[in-house]
Amino acid sequence: MKQVKANLKQAALFVILLGALIVPAGTAIAHHGFADYDMTRHDTIVGKVRAFQWTNPHTWLWLDVPDGKGGIILYAFEGMSPNYLGRRGWTKDSLEPGDKITVNFFPFKDPAKHGGTLASATKDNGEVLNNFVPAGAR
Amino acid sequence: MAQQLRKHFGRFIVVALASALFGSITSAQTWLDFKRPAPTAADWAALAKLPDFTGVWESPLGATSLVIPPGAAKPAPEKTASTSRFPTFPMRQPLPLTPEWAAKVQLLREHAGQDTTAANCLPPGMPEIMGQPYPYEFLLTPGQVTIVGEAYMIVRHIYTDGRTLPEDPDPTFFGTSIGHWEGQTLVAESVGFSPQTTIAPDVPHSDKMKIIERFSLTDPDTMSIETTVIDPVAFTQPYTTTRMLKRHANWTIDEYICEQNNRNSVTRDGKAEVDTTPPPPPEPNSK
Repeated sequence: MKQVKANLKQAALFVILLGALIVPAGTAIAHHGFADYDMTRHDTIVGKVRAFQWTNPHTWLWLDVPDGKGGIILYAFEGMSPNYLGRRGWTKDSLEPGDKITVNFFPFKDPAKHGGTLASATKDNGEVLNNFVPAGAR
Repeated sequence: MAQQLRKHFGRFIVVALASALFGSITSAQTWLDFKRPAPTAADWAALAKLPDFTGVWESPLGATSLVIPPGAAKPAPEKTASTSRFPTFPMRQPLPLTPEWAAKVQLLREHAGQDTTAANCLPPGMPEIMGQPYPYEFLLTPGQVTIVGEAYMIVRHIYTDGRTLPEDPDPTFFGTSIGHWEGQTLVAESVGFSPQTTIAPDVPHSDKMKIIERFSLTDPDTMSIETTVIDPVAFTQPYTTTRMLKRHANWTIDEYICEQNNRNSVTRDGKAEVDTTPPPPPEPNSK
């Protein structure tokens, strides 16, 4: 039921935000710009949480992702601050080492770097943790 | 040499004359000479008649357009390079730059770095510090309005105790501010801004910049901040924008130590960098 509600919420957001994936001028993220990230693309990856830092000015998430050849590639994701996320449903324990999650992200421009700016993390139980939350949505 | 000395002496006489004539006026306006009156019970009671600015407020603008709904089609890479820096001060019309300033801005843009020094945790100054996607808290005490900004943990002091602005304040990030109440509107005037701060990314201000802010409630939980930037050197006319903040009764201002774990940076020559080194694995039995 919670999942259905979450999906409905997501669907509503989709309608509201359709076509708004490209960052419009005036979007304020504070602290720093997106020079290192390609905000015009997004990607999805599945892996296991290695570490999650609930710190300012940004949260950071590291994910162990199987490379399909028996090895592991380490991905790094930058998230919004604990101040911002803490008011939007996240806690310091939202992601814990070993959690299997699906991550949506805006990739690094540098192809040698794995990871990027976090868009959302979906846990095995269906819980969706969004890194950017539209005004008024909770 | 003799001529130079004479010139200096001449200047000295002018300054000495001016000091003698206006000394009493300027000394009365010295910030340090203003003795703040001790608040009375009536001063505290008078606060209750002012609009309720207390509590925590945030602009519903902010980073709201970056949500990727699950299952959304992946956008094709854009041909045009996406801009990597965003103005934090909302700009609805182009800034009314003087031709001299437009040329300066153009030159700065051509040589702009990939990011601003905020990436190194240096806070933006006025007016950009008031455009952060983080909350603000307003504290009203007799003779003073204090604004606490969560981003970068900044504090602005707006003195409403009747003092006048200093003649030649030290340039600072948020300027030197006085305020007065016009009915239910707080009008703040600020001067004296550091050249390290900008009106918008790559838009510097002159040392003549003055900022007027008008704070008022448009409904019990909505605050309007009308900001007018007056800069006779940079602008052909004053430039005004309005930012709306919403009150969040259940929020508090949280700690924001920017240097706690700042992995972003910008080098002196403007290159943006990110450090993605993972933390060391936790010690066994550490939890």
